[in-house]
Order: sequence, then C-alpha cells, then structure tokens
Amino acid sequence: MTGVELHHGAATDVGLVREVNEDAFLVAPPVFVVADGMGGHDRGDIASAIVVEEFARLADQGYDPARGAAVVAEILGDCQARIAEYDASQRAQGAADFHAGTTAVVALLIEQSGEPKWLLANLGDSRVYRYNHGALEQVSVDHSLVQELVESGAITTADAAVHPERHVITRALGGTGSTEADYFVLPLSAAERLVLCSDGVSGMIDDAAIQHILGSADDPRDAADQMVAAAVAAGGRDNATAVVVDVVGLVAETPYDSERQRVSLEEKLGALP
Amino acid sequence: MSQDNSTWSYRPGDWLAIFGATTTLLLPASEKARAAQLWDQVDGGSGFAETLDQVLAPGLSVLPAFVLIGTGDGPTKVIVRGAGVRATLTTDDETVELDGSTVTTWVEKTLEGVSAIGVEVGEADRPGPDHLIEGGLVRVARIDFPARTADEAPTTPAAPEAAPLGAPPVGLPAEEPVVEPVDASAEEPVDEPAGDAVAPEEQPATELLDVAAYDAEEDAAEVREDALGPLDTPAEGVEAPPAGISLMDPPPSDDDGSGLVWDEDGADAPPLPPPPIPPAPVPGGPPADATVPPVSGPPPTDHDGLTQTGPATGEFAREKPGIPGQPPAPNVTRPVARLIVSSGDTVEVDRVVLIGRAPEARRFTVTEQPRLVTVPSPLHEISSTHVEVRPGTGADHGSAVVTDMGSTNGTVLVQPGLGPEDLKPGIAVQLIPGAIINLGDGVTIQVTNP
Repeated sequence: MTGVELHHGAATDVGLVREVNEDAFLVAPPVFVVADGMGGHDRGDIASAIVVEEFARLADQGYDPARGAAVVAEILGDCQARIAEYDASQRAQGAADFHAGTTAVVALLIEQSGEPKWLLANLGDSRVYRYNHGALEQVSVDHSLVQELVESGAITTADAAVHPERHVITRALGGTGSTEADYFVLPLSAAERLVLCSDGVSGMIDDAAIQHILGSADDPRDAADQMVAAAVAAGGRDNATAVVVDVVGLVAETPYDSERQRVSLEEKLGALP
Repeated sequence: MSQDNSTWSYRPGDWLAIFGATTTLLLPASEKARAAQLWDQVDGGSGFAETLDQVLAPGLSVLPAFVLIGTGDGPTKVIVRGAGVRATLTTDDETVELDGSTVTTWVEKTLEGVSAIGVEVGEADRPGPDHLIEGGLVRVARIDFPARTADEAPTTPAAPEAAPLGAPPVGLPAEEPVVEPVDASAEEPVDEPAGDAVAPEEQPATELLDVAAYDAEEDAAEVREDALGPLDTPAEGVEAPPAGISLMDPPPSDDDGSGLVWDEDGADAPPLPPPPIPPAPVPGGPPADATVPPVSGPPPTDHDGLTQTGPATGEFAREKPGIPGQPPAPNVTRPVARLIVSSGDTVEVDRVVLIGRAPEARRFTVTEQPRLVTVPSPLHEISSTHVEVRPGTGADHGSAVVTDMGSTNGTVLVQPGLGPEDLKPGIAVQLIPGAIINLGDGVTIQVTNP
C-alpha cells in the first residue's frame, strides 16, 4: 500500500447525561473502529472495549490485505465469542439475564487488484460517512428498527430522527440477534475523508451540520473535535465519538483534465502551439 | 399412568433432562444442541413415539446414551440406553430394574400401573438435595417420580424399594425439619397466578441451563444451592402442589419461550425487585426475543444511549444488495461466463462483478463479496460503478446477466446477430456468448463461455 498516507483525528465525550462513556474507538492505521456499548447496567463499556482490543490486535499483528472482508468477519467472530464469555462469567456470578452488547463500525485498508481500497464493516447504528468534494454521504446503512421502517416506506427519514424506538437496533455484537455485518468496499478516491461515529454524534446533529464541520475543518483532528463538541452542545444525551480519516498523497491516476483535453484536441487537429 | 400430579424431582448433575407433559427425556451432557432441539418438541406436548422418532433421527450410533419415559395415557413406557444408565420402575406388586449397560441397543419396558419411577445417570452418589420440577429443561444426575423430599436418604441404584413411593406423600411433611416454607405455602392461595411462580430465586437455576454458563458449572453449583436453599423443601410442594403452573398451562403473561424452568414453589420468596424475564439461551432453540428487556430509566423519547437490540423483524427484511426488485444473485457459483475487458482484465462471472471507473461495492455479506473491476476512463465517460454482471437466476439460470447501474452516459450492448441495444438502468439483460458490452471511452467487454 505504497503512496497512501492517512491523517486521522478522533474525539470522544461522555456527554451531559450519561455517567459512563461506553463508546470506544481505535485509531491504529490502517485500522479504524468505533464501537458503541449498549445498556449501562450490563457494562456495555466492556463489550465495546473488547471490540477495540480485538481490532487493535489485528492492526498490531497485521493482516493479509488481499483477504478483505474475511479478515474483519473473523475478528468480529472473536469479539462475539469474547462477549459471550464475559456474559457467561457475569451470569455465573449471579447477574441474571446479563447481556453486554455493542455496535461496531470498522474501516481498514485492503488491496484489490493491486489497488488499496477502503473496506468498511457495519453492525448496528454507528455510522460511516464519506466526505468528497464538499458533499457528505452516509455510506453505512443502520441496522435499526427505524431504518427498516424507512426502507419499507412506513416512515420518512425525518420521522426516523424523532421516532420513539430509534435506539432499537436489529443487529449487534453480543446480542442474541444477527451478528452478521454489512460490508462495503470503496476506492480511496471515492472517500477522501471518512468519518466513523457513534449515534451520540449522528443522533444529536444532522447531516448538514456534520457536512459543515467537515468542510470547514481542514485538519481531521479539528474535524473530530468539533463534531463531538457540536454533539455535546446540542444536548449531549449520549456518549459521542467521532473518528475522521483523511487520505492524503493519493495520486489521481487519470484525472479529468481540461488542459489535457485541449492539448489532445490540438494534437488531433495538428495545431500544436 | 395418568396422574394429576406430574411433579418430578431431580438432583442436579451433568445430564440434560427435558420434562414435558407426558414425556420425559434425558440426554448426556454432550448433547446440548440436540436437547435444545428436542426441548421444543417435548415441551410442545410431543408424545412418546414422536419423541423417540426425533431422538433417533440422526441415527442410534451417534447417541451413546439416553432415557425416554412416556407417562401418557395407558401403560408407562421406558427406554434406557447407555452404560451407567439405570431406571427403576415400581408397580404395586413388582419392581423392575432396567440397566442400559447390559445391552448394545437399548432396554425397553412397558408396564401398567407404575407407581414410581427413578432414573439414575452419571454419578449416582452425587449428594442432594433434590428439587421439584414440573416442566422444563434442567441438568440432572437422577430424577424421581413421584418427587422425592429433601431429607430422604439418597438411594443406591439397587434399592428400588427405598422410597415409600406408593404411600401418600402427604405424610412426609411431618418429618420435614424446615417449617417456615410450609407456613408460607399454607398462606399461598392455590390458584396463585403464574407470575408469582417465576420467582427471583429461580433465576440462578435458570441461568445454570445457559450453555455459556456451562463451563462455570462448579461455581454456579454453589450459586444454585445458595439461591435455592429455602426452596429445598419439596414437601410443601408435594403437599400443596401446583400453583397453577404446569406445562399444559404455561404462565399466561410471560413469553412462552422465555422460561426454561418453573417450579411451583417460590411462595416463600422474600420481596425482591421484579424478576427479569429469564432468557432462553438454548442453542438452536426457538429464537428468544432478541430484545433486551425494556430498561427502566429515562423516558424512551430521550436518546439516552440506552441503545437496545431489537427484534430483527422479518417483514422488514433488509434490502438485499444488488438491484431492487430482482432476486438476489446466488453467492458464488460455477462461472457462467468470462468477461474479456478491452483494458486487459479477464474476469470469471462466478459472483457479482461490478465494473466501472472506480467501482464501489455496497452492503454485501462476507459470503457474497462482489468482484470489482476498475477500467480506465480518461474522459470520465464511464461512471464510477457503471455496470453489474452476475450469474443469472430463474429463467436466466446458467448464463450471465448485465445491468446498467444508472450510469451517466449509458451502456450499449451488441448481442450476436442483433443490433446495438441501449441498456435501461436497473433492467437486467441476459448475455449470449459473443456479446459485446460498450461502456464508452473506448472500453468494451467481450462475453465468452467460461
């Protein structure tokens, strides 16, 4: 993966309401993770920490960039097993009905056909956005009840933001439901700036606000800080975490170039200057 | 043997015992997955023959031991298989002992008028106490019917006459040293609603069943003993049994799948916080609600971080990757075609292939990873994800189909013997070997047989 440099920034805040920060994040280029632990009494912070630990181990040991999604699927499986183990130990100590859980969004560099690409994985309602040429786009699709309602046409996106059950997620690590992640592959050029965040950010400030921050802050560290600060300022009802990654030094291989077009036209016409 | 009182007693151990309405099934500790599967059947009222069918479905050789007892209408039927597995049947005039270690297949016995049944598996001399059970899935070392009381001496396998089982059990409480629970039970209305029976004390016992807790059984055994301490006086249960709980009459308010065990005691429960609904952590069992029980606390309108897992509702199944309105492509198949791209790549169509200037794959699962093919487009005539080629399904099975992914400048397809055709975005077209797909910018894709 030569010629690719990643600049990154990350910030997290417990918010104004919660007592424990159950969010966890990892910045260990080329691996980036945000995990949002669920259910305070069930120690969601342990579950999210397990996810970060496992991916940190991956970043530490290295991985075969050509294997792609299989690498992430393995680690997510390990996380699930460790969380189940933790649940079991807690239950054995008498904590009945113990279920720790966590969401996970993962971004890591892989290689396909000799080119580095972003592999993104998503499980739950933490999000991945990309910011390209001044436009923000949500890449991941939430595994949440409201997202399913939106897709079925029952409610609109605007309704979803205020829906009473918007915090119910349909997939997570540690839960009894599905633990199968969705995967995405993006060419690096399609994601100059990548944002991973917990719902404490995306649920508190809207996409327009996120886009404004990403557009105004050049340094990814500033962008992450400002996103979290904005989420806290907007009420801070949940732990807020943001990781921002910029791809720099990417040589646009065949950019659309009006100069080149003009030259080639002149060449064709035999009118070289 | 159709008695009203269907209460068994069990002594905790390694084996898995499933108590159903008319059928009782014991499986070795290693058969967790099978027990989970069969629990559904037995608990659903599956009869003796039906259950036997299910037990034997994977073949006899893979099941080293089991015990199946049918206590429905008519004679009592018992099947015993495996070394160290013993059952004792007592009728008014005889006592029959069945030992699974003496045969290679199984021992079967059908008897009329059975008044008592005792089954021992695994460690026979495991210390008591015995617990009462009416229905559910528990780990046992021995089970008895009618229920044994706690102060009875553990019987050895060769002492079938040990318990005065024919005698009316009402006499037993007199010898019972523990008196408090009896008082409590006397005050307890017999038709107490079910909710009360799912008492907090039972939680640890329920948790024991959890597969995940299995490894921690040593520890958990202590928990169980502590937690069930006050309930270890089955006498009261024998005397004033079912508080409206039985398999035929499950707790009305609770999700049926959520309770693995319910005893009828719990009358003497000290006031504790309202019991959470026990989970149903049975592997492969009926999927319990994926919900974490509603968390009390801030109102739900407040996005307070109490993110919960919810049911993966089937009717809102997620949008499949690929093109809306079309059946999903099979994950990975035998190649149905080969694409020769003019830029030099040759690609087998054995899965979804996405071709474009900078193709993106969205929302795929780990088993259906699309192949991404990047083609040069100096003039940007080709969109980032321009066309998709994948193995066809249904009428197109066995050949590849091409779909324009809503490209800016469109795609032209030339099939052999036909004129050029503009692809309509989102509409799949079957590819004939020899077809040429033109993406623009001088990039063409030739389709050949694999």
